Amino acid sequence: MATATALSSPRPWRLPGTATQWFTGWFLVAWIGVVVLPLLIISAFSFFSMRQYQIVYDPTLSTWVSLAETGRWVVVLRTIRFAVTVTFLEILVAFPFALWLAKGCRSPAVRACVITLLTIPFFIDASSRIIVWRSILGTNGVINNLLVGSGLVDKPLTWLLYSDFSVSFGMFGSYFPTAVFPIFLTLSLIDDDLVKASSGLGASRLQTLRYIILPLAMPGIVGGVVFTFVPLMAAWIEPQLLGGGQVNLLGQSIQSALTNLNYPIAAALSTVVIGVLVLLLVVLIVSLRGRFSMASLFQSLDR
Amino acid sequence: MSNPAQASALPHSPGTVGKRGFVDRLAEASGWNKVAVALGCVALALIYGPLVWLGVMSFSAEPLSGKPYPLTFAHYSLLFANDKWHTPFVKSVLLGLAVAVACMVIGTLLARALVRLKRPGSVLFLALLPLFVPGLTIGAALFIFFRMTLGLRLGMWSLFIGHMVWAFPFALLLILIVTIRFDVRLIQAAQDLGAKPLRCFLDIELPLLMPGISGAGIFSFLLSFNELLRSTFLRGNETTMPVYNWAMASAQQSQVPIVFSLSTLILAVTLPVMGALFFMLFARKGN
Repeated sequence: MATATALSSPRPWRLPGTATQWFTGWFLVAWIGVVVLPLLIISAFSFFSMRQYQIVYDPTLSTWVSLAETGRWVVVLRTIRFAVTVTFLEILVAFPFALWLAKGCRSPAVRACVITLLTIPFFIDASSRIIVWRSILGTNGVINNLLVGSGLVDKPLTWLLYSDFSVSFGMFGSYFPTAVFPIFLTLSLIDDDLVKASSGLGASRLQTLRYIILPLAMPGIVGGVVFTFVPLMAAWIEPQLLGGGQVNLLGQSIQSALTNLNYPIAAALSTVVIGVLVLLLVVLIVSLRGRFSMASLFQSLDR
Repeated sequence: MSNPAQASALPHSPGTVGKRGFVDRLAEASGWNKVAVALGCVALALIYGPLVWLGVMSFSAEPLSGKPYPLTFAHYSLLFANDKWHTPFVKSVLLGLAVAVACMVIGTLLARALVRLKRPGSVLFLALLPLFVPGLTIGAALFIFFRMTLGLRLGMWSLFIGHMVWAFPFALLLILIVTIRFDVRLIQAAQDLGAKPLRCFLDIELPLLMPGISGAGIFSFLLSFNELLRSTFLRGNETTMPVYNWAMASAQQSQVPIVFSLSTLILAVTLPVMGALFFMLFARKGN
């Protein structure tokens, strides 16, 4: 297969038309300008202060101190609690499902169907998808109508909507595909012969799972955590629409600080998210190191 | 779903030797794969259930009540009588088209360059970095950069950059798949036969890369068309379709039924297109 060598083999021929290095260089400059630089600047802003709606470019820790004093760190802790709970549940459901999808599912049509269903949510407007939960979970929504109608409960359950439950519930649906995909990719890279050899040598299925599949799937699991935990730290649509003002998370704090022109606070809260992102990315890169090259990753996409 | 008997998560040989503990026997006895599939289907139902319900409720007289009956077309006639959503809709379409074209051109150039680099790793990592950054964070960062640091007035141009940062990594990945598959010997053969570099590119390379490039175009359009988080910060005074939907949805007012009908119509057009596209893409790879 040409795929494996296409990335590493030297090319004896000249490029037609465009000069590769030149274009890559310009792309990198522009891309760093709109991706990396803004992230660095917003982190730097958390060390400045505001005076009469003007930024004072004078390094100070006052924003971080006020973050601790005004109790906004409670919001950070609450967001972490939500993100940890939902991420844990996602991985718990996503890993077995990805294992089935990569190794158990024998029909290519079924697999293509499931992958299609997992891909589509990336392309759907989130607010219309989330707002519907109100008419399902609300006090006169579908579930309460069914429960009261069947006599299981006397009064409609109020904790179904505008509560921690509804927010976590909405988050779970939104971030399921992002948890499945990285795990699925690494699992489909595992050679079936390894699994066969393991059971042929007398390992039980649990031992094969514990000593063969789990270690090989670890980069995918870390990837799934990165793609779920980090966006959950900045989730905004779900708490806003399903929290009903009862559930205040980091995303809403950043948004309201920005609309109140309190840029240093918004910057500091964003820096917390960026910090979590950098930390988890380092873990991901370490777990990927020497395991997969770009070529092997695309081979798995090719299958 | 497939035959559950075939859906065994691991190949199992009956004649294996060695002692089995209680946990092992438990693991083998109670069809874990069925549990796995069932839970996964529940998770998928959490995504698609609301979409179906959205369609049902768009015909309901009281969309927020949870009762589908009595059925009515009132919201749809209200929607067509109302022209407030026309401008956001047109703006979103135009913006999506601009993002799609830019992603196709830049993505093709960069993907061709990446497969020809000796060490593409760090460039690829940088190009894909926005996939990891939450929309709200990059939106806030770009807002502070453009508005505060550079002191610019936000508008369609900042929306365009924000959407590029979101859509480009997906577009690049799709085009990379086809550029990696591309057999460079075709170019070498054409050059041996005396073809100029531009002819090689236009007549040989581009047609073969076209499935990936056009896929990238459609994906970037859809990603831009439905983008909300970055847009809320970068829009200036502009209103795109998702921003309009969001304003209507979060205002908890009488406009909500219209949003239901509008979203249902958009989904009725985009879902079958996306479904067919993705299925062809993944089914072809499955063979």
